[in-house]
Amino acid sequence: MELLDLLLEPWRSGLERRALIEVVLLGLACGPLGFWVITYGLSYPAESLGHGLLPGLVIAALAGAPLLLGAAGGVAVGAAAVALAAHDERIGPDTATAVVVTGLFGAGTLIALSPDAPARLEELLFGDPLGVSDADLVAAAALATLGTLALAALHRPLCAVALDGPGATALGVAPARVRAGLLALLAAALAVAVQGLGSLLVLALIVGPALAVRRHARAPTRAMLAGGAVAALAGVAGLYASHHLGSAAGASVALTLCVAALAGAALPVRRAAAARARPGGG
Amino acid sequence: MSPATGVAARGLALGYGGEPVLEEVDFSAGAGTTVSVLGPNGGGKTTLFKGLLGELAPVRGTAATAGRPAYVAQTDRTRLDFPVTALDVALMGSLARGRWWLPPRRSDRALAREALERVGLADEAFTRFGQLSGGQRQRTLIARALVQDAAVLLLDEPLAGVDPASADRIEAVFAELRAEGRTLLVSTHDVESAARHDLVLCLNRRQVAFGPPAEVLVRQTLEATYGSEIVVIDDGTGSVRAIAVGHHAH
Amino acid sequence: MNLIYAQGVPPLPAPVELLELRAVGVALAELGLLAVAGGLLGAWVILRRLAFFTHAAGTATFPGLVVAQASGFSPRLAAVGVALGYAGAVERAAHRGRLQADAATALALVVALAGGTILASDVFESGAVVDRLLFGTIIGLDGGDLLVSGAAAVLAALVTLSLGRAFTAVGFDPESSASLGLPTRRADLLLLATVAAAVVAALPAVGALLVSSIFVVPAAIARLFARSVRGLLRGAVLVAAAQGVLGLYLALWLDVPPGPVVSVLGASAYAACAVAIALVARARPAGPQAAEAPA
Repeated sequence: MELLDLLLEPWRSGLERRALIEVVLLGLACGPLGFWVITYGLSYPAESLGHGLLPGLVIAALAGAPLLLGAAGGVAVGAAAVALAAHDERIGPDTATAVVVTGLFGAGTLIALSPDAPARLEELLFGDPLGVSDADLVAAAALATLGTLALAALHRPLCAVALDGPGATALGVAPARVRAGLLALLAAALAVAVQGLGSLLVLALIVGPALAVRRHARAPTRAMLAGGAVAALAGVAGLYASHHLGSAAGASVALTLCVAALAGAALPVRRAAAARARPGGG
Repeated sequence: MSPATGVAARGLALGYGGEPVLEEVDFSAGAGTTVSVLGPNGGGKTTLFKGLLGELAPVRGTAATAGRPAYVAQTDRTRLDFPVTALDVALMGSLARGRWWLPPRRSDRALAREALERVGLADEAFTRFGQLSGGQRQRTLIARALVQDAAVLLLDEPLAGVDPASADRIEAVFAELRAEGRTLLVSTHDVESAARHDLVLCLNRRQVAFGPPAEVLVRQTLEATYGSEIVVIDDGTGSVRAIAVGHHAH
Repeated sequence: MNLIYAQGVPPLPAPVELLELRAVGVALAELGLLAVAGGLLGAWVILRRLAFFTHAAGTATFPGLVVAQASGFSPRLAAVGVALGYAGAVERAAHRGRLQADAATALALVVALAGGTILASDVFESGAVVDRLLFGTIIGLDGGDLLVSGAAAVLAALVTLSLGRAFTAVGFDPESSASLGLPTRRADLLLLATVAAAVVAALPAVGALLVSSIFVVPAAIARLFARSVRGLLRGAVLVAAAQGVLGLYLALWLDVPPGPVVSVLGASAYAACAVAIALVARARPAGPQAAEAPA
């Protein structure tokens, strides 16, 4: 049957099979995390860290080292640099992040575009799901499991600080530490996911699914589960589109994630959910 | 409907979309009058000011002032890291006087220096705003309002966290402005200082009372205004001293 | 460096010889004009905290550039259209105070980049064109680019002269703007539109992804030392010019696009200045005066 053929085709190739598994694992890992990233207003830091880790990626690629190592190093350096630069109140975190990210991203590009360097910049920028190795799959699986465990363990502190920052301290929760933990999780997710979607597009995986479900699922657990599901489904859909349309895999996955976000934002909210969600008073 | 002098509100209700957060405001104050505005946080003092400034359109009723009022917010609402001196800040008041798209005139600069002198900051004209003390910063913002030369001044807790020397200077300036025939609305948590003004307006999501201090600063009115946030000391002489336990968390 | 230059680092070219090349002269002029626009507007960008907007405005033009390149339509017009549309959307979203404005903006950038790259792979044979659109070029600049950059510089100067006082007053104390009678919304929209239009002027030289190197970093460096808004404006233009000239020279030497070189140069200079200031502050005796940077 034609439809069945269409659905089964990608699974026949080992490359694409691995890509599908990778995308599903990444979706399950990043979708739930995205709920907290948006709730804590960390979209801009996420975007910036994604760009800022590029030099790490490039150096790893040139040195023949595993990209995950480069990404992890890049994220660590980027986060530290932003934290340092943001210290100056005259500049402010917004501008400090811009300066650091511009410098790091420029440095990565500079190294990658040097005449004698092997040209892999496109893949590092826009992702290469089809280039996924077994090691990458293991990393993605590790992120999915460990990340979920971490989110489960941090669930109550995350909720407490999000709902009532100053009050959380009274409950024995330190907002600064919770935020730092969330950032660490975000950094890990970025480092693993960047292999699939690339430095420029990885944000779609973190933020897209969460935006898609935000208006429809308000409770944290429900939103996280829905986010994970949407992320995995959208990722798979993106790979199918790439397979049948012949478009770049990473970019196709990123686009489907964004389309999902747009659809979720545009779809009318179910009445019961809307009534519960309406804020009381001005 | 702009009054020739002072401030007037008739049946005013203000809100931010949705239900009004301040209702039944009905008062007027003419030239040469100071009005202290009392009320708990969230009671509507800032909302009233926004309505009088024209920033908020009335949900019901009218609000009118003689010309555009000068607004002096608290200094922690301003950016302390901006590369501006006290003189620069005072000079900002001249933007209200005319063509703001042109550079400041010499007369504007002279006015700004005069205003700084009036508030006792002539020596700090070239000090960066962020390096001034809290009281000095508040005085600089008042200097800006002076340069604006407005008939009506709205001041949001101008004495909060200000050192006594600055506070005295500020109150002296208020007296001068009153003598010049301007109208001042001063929101405050200090019930004691309210007694020194011409009129008192009490707000708690609606107008609780308006009138001379002797009439308004009585136990029932204060309790209706502040609820449980007030400590009333009745020393048995008939008048009441009250301390509002207002917190400054905004 | 062995990692990159298998044949060893190329010799430094003599500046005088370089200037004899017409393309280099054009590039120099271009970067000079961009320094004026980027320095002046950059001061407002960092005072009004618009760094993310500026970066996003540049990135958002990428698909427009791809389409224009492929269809022969004027890339500048396409870019201006996209950038202005983006500015308007941002202003409206900010005014409504939508919670997820940041997230939505970031996603919009991903759409721009992903969409642009898919279009590009369909349309262009080699990745070199994409690299040029993303990171800029030295040799591809022409008189038209100079004209646009000149216009951007003039626009930046006009906006600064007439609206500068208003921007400062509103940035310093947003709540006072109603009282001062300033048309805040329109002024802000004009600033966003001007920045977006000027960003378009920088696209040929530094590419869609690195406009912050011209519109944010020089002003940030100047900010470390500036004691007044005027000083900030002057300093930003000077730093942008110096960075542009030196960056161009290095880009010619290393045979790489100018965008990345200028970015690394600027960010490194910022880091060096920030560290130097911190060290000097630590060496001085503690006191309120120590917080002020040396001129």
